[in-house]
Amino acid sequence: MALETTEIKRRLSGVDVLTRKKGLLISPELCIGCRGCQTACKEWNKLPGDRTSNRGTYENPPDLTPNLYNKIRFLEVTGGDTVKWLFVSQRCMHCTDAGCMKVCPAPGALYRTAEGAVAFDRNKCIGCRFCVAGCPFNIPRYDQEGRIAKCHLCSDRIPYGLQPACAKTCPTGAIRYGDREELMGIAKEAGYKTVYGTTDLGGLGVLYAFRERPSYYGLPDSPSFSPTIALWKNILKPLALIGLGGAVAAAAAHYVTIGPKEVDEGGEE
Amino acid sequence: MMKGNLIEKTTAWERFNHWVLAVSFLILFFTGLGFLYQSLNWINTIFGGNHLASAIHKWTGLVFTLSLILTLGSYFGEAIRFTSEDSKWISSLGGYFSREMEPPPQGKLNAGQKLFYLIVVVLFGATSAFSGFIIWLFPDSRGLILFAHFLHNISYVVFAFAVPLHIYLGTAANPGTFRVMTRGTVTAAWAKKHHGRWAKDMGIE
Repeated sequence: MALETTEIKRRLSGVDVLTRKKGLLISPELCIGCRGCQTACKEWNKLPGDRTSNRGTYENPPDLTPNLYNKIRFLEVTGGDTVKWLFVSQRCMHCTDAGCMKVCPAPGALYRTAEGAVAFDRNKCIGCRFCVAGCPFNIPRYDQEGRIAKCHLCSDRIPYGLQPACAKTCPTGAIRYGDREELMGIAKEAGYKTVYGTTDLGGLGVLYAFRERPSYYGLPDSPSFSPTIALWKNILKPLALIGLGGAVAAAAAHYVTIGPKEVDEGGEE
Repeated sequence: MMKGNLIEKTTAWERFNHWVLAVSFLILFFTGLGFLYQSLNWINTIFGGNHLASAIHKWTGLVFTLSLILTLGSYFGEAIRFTSEDSKWISSLGGYFSREMEPPPQGKLNAGQKLFYLIVVVLFGATSAFSGFIIWLFPDSRGLILFAHFLHNISYVVFAFAVPLHIYLGTAANPGTFRVMTRGTVTAAWAKKHHGRWAKDMGIE
């Protein structure tokens, strides 16, 4: 189903969304938890540090913030008598079928870049936060002025031939940037069981090379946005225009066929 | 109340509040249309761009809600009183689908007006107001927002169907009716034709 929508979009737009799409390949097993990507992202996007407190973990800050577009989550997964320490980058997934873009009422506030990423224009954002409700990954954050803030796949770097700041700074290749198709090939060749994001939500711009189930790495096994979004976007929305046009047309038809209820004023009016 | 040949059907307050409700509704409906359809976003350009249109939509929503609450005192008591003449009006479809058929004499509000008021104005008006305030005031509660959005859109569809018909029935379909909401008075002949029992109660034979 997801692929069919993508196929329709590809034909309609004349832009080959999926094959042209650039993306990231994230391999948690290669990540050493240095958080260089967090710092590089902040540096490129000129984002200030967030004041946090010691929670007894290297993971910091505890969650994405309007000043933190990319965060390494530190997961302690226990199995048998061993503990596995996993480092997983959390950020906008740049979905092809993006819930945030579907619900956004301000055209241009969220937009698709030529490379297939979901970028934002904070000046056009009206601060309604529907995108937060529409996102299956709970990614968008709002800054103090009530404007959206999230990873935009360095939309101000890649058109100039640079790679995203996080991928450039990663010392181990845990975050790799490139053509989405190529990245999928790389992950498969390296023998990963799952390439997360191949078909989910029409294909994610951020792919993950997993050896276990996605939920093992703290990601939803089958990400999706609320069915009510599809219901109101695909059914109620057209129904509103049909209703408006239909009611006006019915009134006009009634007027010229059965006609108005004239009152006999006995020649007084 | 008789005023020469004319009978008063609405008070000055009812007419004033009707137009507060109507104008606030139209502002909400059109800014809503601009937000719902990207291709109709130019409507919100007329309202000063999306930022201003969003603020106008919210505050007009507050005016709409207050006006809606105030209509309860005017029509609610009459609207919930359903009698056999209302059932007859409904079974004759108000006489709107035939030139010959005349519905039985009606009270001050006919069954169609009662249903429009109770279902479209009160029920879906309250639904859209309630869901609108949730969207406005609780932007961070994801599940609640999605549900509120859904309700907001359902009521929008109902308005899109019902309000054009309300406007038609109050103007072109029933000559002499529009002045109920402009001047507040109707002619005796109009009263006898459209609200026979009410005319009788008012002492018109």
